[in-house]
Amino acid sequence: MAVVGQLAFTGLAIGGVYALIALGIVLIYRATNVVNFAQGEFCMLGAYALVFLWQGAGLDYFLAGAVALVLMAVLGLLFALGLYYPLRNRSFLPVIIATIGASIMFQNGALAVFGPSPEKVRPVIEAGPTGGVTLGGVFFDYQYVVILGVTLVLVVTQYAFFEYTLLGKKMQATSQDKDMARLLGIPVTLMIALTFVYSTVLGGLAGMLVGPIYFVTHKMGAVLGLKAFAVTIAGGFGDVRGAVVGGLSLGVIETFGAAYVSVAYKDAFAFLLLLVFLLIRPQGIFGEKVAEKA
Amino acid sequence: MKGSLRTLAGLLAGVATVAAGASPTAAQPKGAPIKIGQIVSTTGEGAEAGRYMRWGAELAVEQVNKAGGVKGRSLQLVFEDDKTTNPGAVAALQRLLEDKEIAAILGPIRSTQIQALLPTINEAGLPVMIGGSNYGLTHSGCRWVFRTRPHDGFSAKVIAKFAVDDLKFQKVAVIHSTDAFGSGGRDLVVQELRTLGHPPVLVQAYNNGEKDFTAVLTAVRQSGADGLITYMTFSTDVGIMAKQIKQLGIKATWLGSPSITAIDGRKLAGDALYGTYGVTDFHVDASAKSREFAAAYKAEHGNAPDLYAAAFYDAVLVLAEAMKKAPDLRPDSVRTAILGIRNFWGSEFLYNFDENGDGLDHYHIVRNENDTIKLFKTIRVPRS
Repeated sequence: MAVVGQLAFTGLAIGGVYALIALGIVLIYRATNVVNFAQGEFCMLGAYALVFLWQGAGLDYFLAGAVALVLMAVLGLLFALGLYYPLRNRSFLPVIIATIGASIMFQNGALAVFGPSPEKVRPVIEAGPTGGVTLGGVFFDYQYVVILGVTLVLVVTQYAFFEYTLLGKKMQATSQDKDMARLLGIPVTLMIALTFVYSTVLGGLAGMLVGPIYFVTHKMGAVLGLKAFAVTIAGGFGDVRGAVVGGLSLGVIETFGAAYVSVAYKDAFAFLLLLVFLLIRPQGIFGEKVAEKA
Repeated sequence: MKGSLRTLAGLLAGVATVAAGASPTAAQPKGAPIKIGQIVSTTGEGAEAGRYMRWGAELAVEQVNKAGGVKGRSLQLVFEDDKTTNPGAVAALQRLLEDKEIAAILGPIRSTQIQALLPTINEAGLPVMIGGSNYGLTHSGCRWVFRTRPHDGFSAKVIAKFAVDDLKFQKVAVIHSTDAFGSGGRDLVVQELRTLGHPPVLVQAYNNGEKDFTAVLTAVRQSGADGLITYMTFSTDVGIMAKQIKQLGIKATWLGSPSITAIDGRKLAGDALYGTYGVTDFHVDASAKSREFAAAYKAEHGNAPDLYAAAFYDAVLVLAEAMKKAPDLRPDSVRTAILGIRNFWGSEFLYNFDENGDGLDHYHIVRNENDTIKLFKTIRVPRS
C-alpha cells in the first residue's frame, strides 16, 4: 500500500510541474492561437535567474525569487514584442517555428553563459536532512508539496481572474476573436503582451520550483516543455482545467507505468497519451471554449 | 593609417620574438605540426565531460611539445563537436577525416557513440583512441580502435568480486542505464555474479536523463536487496538517484560504476553519496605518474582532474610514444607501434596493449568519505 501511495504522490507532484508549464502554453494559445514551444525554456531561464541572483549575487533566497520573477516578466514582454509582434499578421506556422528557434537559442545561450555543469538550488522549505517527511511509509518531499500547493493556488486564482475580472474577460475576449475585441475597444496588443508576460512568469516559477528536484541545467526545459505540450493536447488546448487534469494524469500514468510496465519506456507514455488523444478525442478532455460557443 | 602601421609593427615584433624563441638552440619542434583530431562534446548532455576531455588532451599536447614534440614536429589538436549524440559523433568523425593531414583521432568516451562510429573507423583505417569502456568495442573485429581505459569486462569482474568477497552482499539489485554502456555492464556483471553463486534478485533499467527514480527504487526496496550495483552513464543521474535513495530511506550498500565518483554527481548529491563505493579507472593517488598529472592539471585549471581528463591525457601520451617509435606516421606503422607498447605509465595506470587494442587491465575500488574519494584498493585482472 505504501508503494502505491508513494507512486501516487510522486506522480501527482511531477504532474503538478507539467500542469504549471502547460498552463503557460494554454494561456498563450488562447491569446494568440499559437503554441509556444519555448515555454519549457522559460522554466529553465527562471531557474537560472534564481541561481544567479541567489548564489551569484548573494541575494536572500525569497528576494532573489521575486527579482527573478520580475526579470521573467521583462523577458516575456521582450518575447512578445520581439518575436510575436512582428509576425502577428502571418499564419500561425511562422510564429510556431519562431518559438522553436527561440527555444534553441535560449538553450544554447544558457549553455554559453552558465556552462554545462548542473547547478544546485535550495528548496523553498529547508528542513531536515532529507527535505521531507515520511508518513505511513510514504515519503513526502516538501518541495513536491509546495509544487502541488502552488499549482492549486494558481489554478484557482487564474480561473477566478479570467471568469470574474474585467481584465481577465478582456483577455479572454481577445483570445476568442481579436477583430471583435478590437471593435469593442479592447487594446488587443496590450492584452497579448500581458498574456506573454504572465505565461513567462508562470514558466519561470515552475522552473524555480523544480530546480531543487531536477537540478538546473540548460536542458532541463526541453523534456518538460514537450511533456507539457502533450498534456495540453490531452487536456484540450483552450482550457485551463485541461492543463491541470492532463498534467496530473500524465504524472500519475508515467510513474505507475514506470513501476508496473517498464521504467525504460517511461517517457513514451506521455507521447502514447498524446497519440491516443489525437486519434480518439483530438479536442482533448475539455475541448475548446471557442468551439463550444460556435 | 597610423593605427594600422602600429599594428603591423607590433605583428612584426611578435613574429621576430616567436622566431627568436624557435632558434635551434632551444630544441623546439619544427616543421608542420602533426594533427590529431579530437571528437569532443561541446554541446549536449556530455558537454561537461567534454570540457575535461579536451583539457586532458591539451595538457598532454603541451607537455609533449615542450619536450621537443614527435619526430621534431609539434602536435596540434583539431576539435569537432559531437553534440553528445551518435549522429553528431559520426558527422564529427567525417569532418575530421576530410582533413587528410590528420594522423590519428581521439574518439568519444561514450560507448554508444563509438559503436556508431565503428563502421566509419573501419573504413577510414586511421588509429582512433577511445575512452568508451563497453567490452565489445575492442572485440568486434575493428583493427583501428585503441582503448586508454580498462573495459567493462574487467570492471564487472572487479565489482562482482568486491561485492561478494569484501562487502559480503547477500541479495544484490542491479540498476543500469539503457544505453550501450549500461546494458553491456549489466550483462557482464550479472554473468559474474552468477559465476560467483550470487545471481541478482532484481535488475532494473532506466533511461539517461531520468528525473524520478521512485519506480526503480520502490522495486529495490521491495526486493529486500542489501547491496546495490549500478552501471550509470551520467553522473547527474547518479546525483538525482542518490538524493532519492536517501529520501526513501533505502539502506543497501551502493557500489557503482565510475560515474559515482565524478565531481558533478557529488556536487548535486552532497552527503547522499557518502559511504558509497565505486570502481574507477583513474585515481589521483594511484601512481607517481597520476600524481604528477594531477599537479600539472590543477596548476592549469584550478581543480583536480577526473577520469575524463586522464583518459585523453593518456591517449595523447600513448599516441606520441607510438609515433616516436614508429618508423613513419603511416596508420599501419602507428598501429603496430601502439600494440607494441609495454609497461608504459600513464595517468590511469600501467599500459600493456594486447592484440585487441586494450591498454589497461586494472580497476581501483574507491570509497566516498565525506566527499573525498579515497583509494581503497587497486585490482588488476588477469587477461584471458
